[in-house]
Amino acid sequence: MQRAVLERVEPVAEGAVSLVLRGDGGPLAAWEPGAHVDLVLPNWLTRQYSLCGDPADRDSYRVTVHHDPLSRGGSEYVHLYLRTGRTLEISLPRNNFPLSPAAEYLFIAGGIGITPIVPMLASAVEAGAVARLVYVGRSTATMPFADELRATYGDRVRIHTTDEHGRPDFAALAATLNPLALVYCCGPASMIDTAEAVFPPSRLRVERFRPAAKQFALNSAFLVDCVRSGRTVEVGAEQSVLDALNHAGFPVPSGCREGVCGSCEIPVVGGEPEHRDDIGAPPGRMYCCVSRALSPRLAVDL
Amino acid sequence: MNSNDVAFKARPRRISHEEVRARIGEPEDLIKSKVHDRIDRHSRRFIAHAPFLAMATSDATGLPDCSPRGDYPGFAKVLDERTLAIPDRPGNQLADSFRNLAENDGIGLMFIVPGVREVLRVNGRAYPTDEPDVLARMRTEGKAAQLAIVVEVAEVFFHCGRALIRSRLWDPASQALAAELPSVGEIAAEQMGLDIDPAVVTRMLEAEYRELY
Repeated sequence: MQRAVLERVEPVAEGAVSLVLRGDGGPLAAWEPGAHVDLVLPNWLTRQYSLCGDPADRDSYRVTVHHDPLSRGGSEYVHLYLRTGRTLEISLPRNNFPLSPAAEYLFIAGGIGITPIVPMLASAVEAGAVARLVYVGRSTATMPFADELRATYGDRVRIHTTDEHGRPDFAALAATLNPLALVYCCGPASMIDTAEAVFPPSRLRVERFRPAAKQFALNSAFLVDCVRSGRTVEVGAEQSVLDALNHAGFPVPSGCREGVCGSCEIPVVGGEPEHRDDIGAPPGRMYCCVSRALSPRLAVDL
Repeated sequence: MNSNDVAFKARPRRISHEEVRARIGEPEDLIKSKVHDRIDRHSRRFIAHAPFLAMATSDATGLPDCSPRGDYPGFAKVLDERTLAIPDRPGNQLADSFRNLAENDGIGLMFIVPGVREVLRVNGRAYPTDEPDVLARMRTEGKAAQLAIVVEVAEVFFHCGRALIRSRLWDPASQALAAELPSVGEIAAEQMGLDIDPAVVTRMLEAEYRELY
């Protein structure tokens, strides 16, 4: 965890504000484009926001928050109650959406999904790659950074407003895509589903705000052997591994509890996990808020 | 009656409201003006920081009931300046509040913010709902509330801090009072006539308390 002071709250579009967070007593941890942090709000809720400032600025972080009308208390708190001058706890940056080297990029952002894309586009352009952005939103008034992006990158940025032009034609984008280009897409579920349907999986990287709709086999109970402490924890069919571990006294942290943020990553040393997250766990890891077991026992390094 | 109770010769004397008024006086106009019919920005901010409220309802005969509700600060949602929603989380399934509201829709709420001496009072009319857009705002730890209580606000006011000051409610030293009470296991074992070691009952309850949602 690190601490930062909320220095400024800047309106950046209808229903969206940027928070500028200054490191409390020293530089903040370094990050790469695509990274996000957990912000611990004064109302005890923890929320994940992509870093959308300049990675070279180690004194402050910038995140941009959209006010969700169905807010469970995170974005509503940020918009209505959060005050400047407040010290907040922030996690170290985590990157589930890293920018891989490529000669050409197509970035696709929907609404507030622009936030991780802003530093990615800057980094790609700086590296001398061919980079384009298709930025989709209802209207320019609701789209953070639309003007700045047009001003900085000119014709490389295409603003597509659905109020005027309907949904963008991703199939046409896919048809003219350089086969070596990488496609990065962040936005609402419907946009990501469309992108996954038209772009080759090997070229596409996505980040979701909320989990994709998925079907799994029925849950069953299983055991988790915590090898470092020598204890075994029973996970009920209606219980998550995270809850079972927390209830047994293992303080595994958590964030979204939906398999999209990565806060609850734990090391797996035996058994076969059933990965149900939207991040893609690396070998030897699992996100225990949603993932379960295919084997009757799992062994974890706790 | 406990044999140690001081025996009254008769029930304590009942006095009329006129006699009460004669003793405590009439409220000043300034005090009356603090009662609002809607949730202003100060009340909204208070509710957004309250992790606890007491909810009073009563049945058709007027017999009241007061029930605690709590979660993260702001768990009760302000839908608009005249409407609140309170999530219903798993409890004891007695549904006393819901049964009362079916008979009598009056409701009284008292919001508490730790560290603040004043409390916020909200009175109004209420009904249960399963409206998906309301329940969606109440998901906690990945679980939705099963139901919510919608409160149509009639009166909103801040209640002065004297009771909380006198009670030393936020003084950490007050927590020493807890050590003077029997454990929850001892109380439950005796009240429910269980022939079980109270320590076991306490442990069972502690295990249940870990499943909050």
